[in-house]
Amino acid sequence: MTDMAVKPAPAPARSAPAPRPRRRPGGWAIVRAALRVLATLAILFFVLFPILWMALTAFKPARDAFSTAVVFAPTLDNFAAILGGASDLTGALVNSVLIAVATTIVSIPLALLAAYAFSRYRFPGHRGMLLAIVATQFIPGVAIALPFLTLFRSLGLIDTHLALVVVNLSLVVPYITWLLKGFVDGLPIEIEEAARLDGCGQVSLLWRVITPLAAPGIFVAAVFSFLLSWNEFLFPTFLARTDASTLPVALMTLVLPEGVAWGQMAAAGLLVMAPMLIMALLVRKHFAEGMTMGAVK
Amino acid sequence: MVATTVPPPRPRSRMRKHAVPYLHLAPALLAVVLTTVYPLVSALITSFRHWRLNETREAGEFVGLEQYQRVFTDDTFFNSALVTLQFTVISVVLSVGLGLGIALILNNRTRLSALTKALLILPFAVAPALKGFSWRFMLNPDTGVYDQMLDTVLPFADDINWLGDPFWALMVIALTEVWGWAPLIALMLLGGLNSISPEVREAATIDGANAWQRFWRVTFPLLRPLLLIVIFLKAVFSVKIFDQVVTTTGGGPGRATESLNFFAYSQGFTFLDIGYASAVSWVIVLVLGVLATMYLIAMAKQEAK
Repeated sequence: MTDMAVKPAPAPARSAPAPRPRRRPGGWAIVRAALRVLATLAILFFVLFPILWMALTAFKPARDAFSTAVVFAPTLDNFAAILGGASDLTGALVNSVLIAVATTIVSIPLALLAAYAFSRYRFPGHRGMLLAIVATQFIPGVAIALPFLTLFRSLGLIDTHLALVVVNLSLVVPYITWLLKGFVDGLPIEIEEAARLDGCGQVSLLWRVITPLAAPGIFVAAVFSFLLSWNEFLFPTFLARTDASTLPVALMTLVLPEGVAWGQMAAAGLLVMAPMLIMALLVRKHFAEGMTMGAVK
Repeated sequence: MVATTVPPPRPRSRMRKHAVPYLHLAPALLAVVLTTVYPLVSALITSFRHWRLNETREAGEFVGLEQYQRVFTDDTFFNSALVTLQFTVISVVLSVGLGLGIALILNNRTRLSALTKALLILPFAVAPALKGFSWRFMLNPDTGVYDQMLDTVLPFADDINWLGDPFWALMVIALTEVWGWAPLIALMLLGGLNSISPEVREAATIDGANAWQRFWRVTFPLLRPLLLIVIFLKAVFSVKIFDQVVTTTGGGPGRATESLNFFAYSQGFTFLDIGYASAVSWVIVLVLGVLATMYLIAMAKQEAK
């Protein structure tokens, strides 16, 4: 009360034009904003152009494949050629799908169980095993592919789906275990405690409580698992060159003695990348932390 | 004692106490051991044995360290080590530098930035093998769209046969990597930039720091642990470069783009010298082991904060 009385009358301040704390966007600010927009557009160009160019080339008729023309009569010839036509890649496409699906179906339950153990229990070797899981990502592919090359040769498993699913586990299981651990860490433990008090056993707890709660995480893990096996190139290069070869390796068959069939390559490329681009957009919020195994949150 | 609904904990042995988590871990552990530890050990044993697949089906006699001696006297191995080192430095510098630039440009709340951020992950989702083909196509010295753009801007670029020149061929492979990684690194760094409270920067502004000083004195030090992690991560993946070497140059011109992984691959798969290739692959394991240890230490430090 007394404070108010002491305060000087605000009247003079009001009549005078109040000094604005922020100046109106003047010359500098406009230049800076414009530069920022230009730089952002340059980033968009850098990121998107190779993708758009491949998509465009895929629909170009043969005579335009090498031109930089943006206007042309679109055709599906290239897709016809790789899907049942002269340079058929249908087999590789089917292989890619089968192997990625099988890898995902096998990996998810293993990884979810392990993630749950890492998240909910402390036990001797906890930290060591977690570190080991991160460390597996640093193993060079050749050191895994070479021994499996000789092993699968003697077992008669070279160039089979099974061979690729097995080696893919080395990439996928550690990776999604780490990913799922993050998700299980985020689940409130109270629900589990309540379920246990209600007499829920461990198996039904995992199946009826954890799995539905972790469903969004399982979805993200499935997407990453699919993406990793789909894009894998080194393993099929060593272990499945023909019968079980996947799409990225089968692209090599479009490199012909007379040159690369770029139109068909672009069409096949679109087939390889389009599903992954969609999947990446679906899980984009988890990409940065996903790729670094939780180092960056 | 008063009866409770929860049974009192029974005394258990150490092993039984932890039986539940171990049982949960067992299947994944088995899969990981079978697909990573088994091949690593197997490759180590093979690296001490003579084994050419074109001579014998089974592994031959033990030759001790002979094949490791061969590795370290093999000029073509040293060439691939040097190529890998150059490639790693180029791609780390370009990816992290460009990634940081992208992050700083997009570190605002405009709609255009939000859209760009959402699209940043796209290149990383493209199969690396395909990235190789795509850039090889765009940099075709006669018809490639990037080649023609560059020729317009830089007249001297007209004479460059991108994949036929030893320096540029390695640069092109690095660019395919940078295309995927720089945007991803930008995303990671944007996460870090977000966690820097705006008050810190406002305080610096009030103290009269200009944009340049604010970056080097405030933003950069706070971002440094994250940058370190990103650099190690990119370095590890660069040392493992393989896919794009196969799909752009096949190691050429000459041996100018033969990376370590590609060298091990050609020894094992093309020349069928499994013993020697195993020794080479274990040298790569050790190199990456050093990098991985540094990475894990950097990560542990970051976690401790």
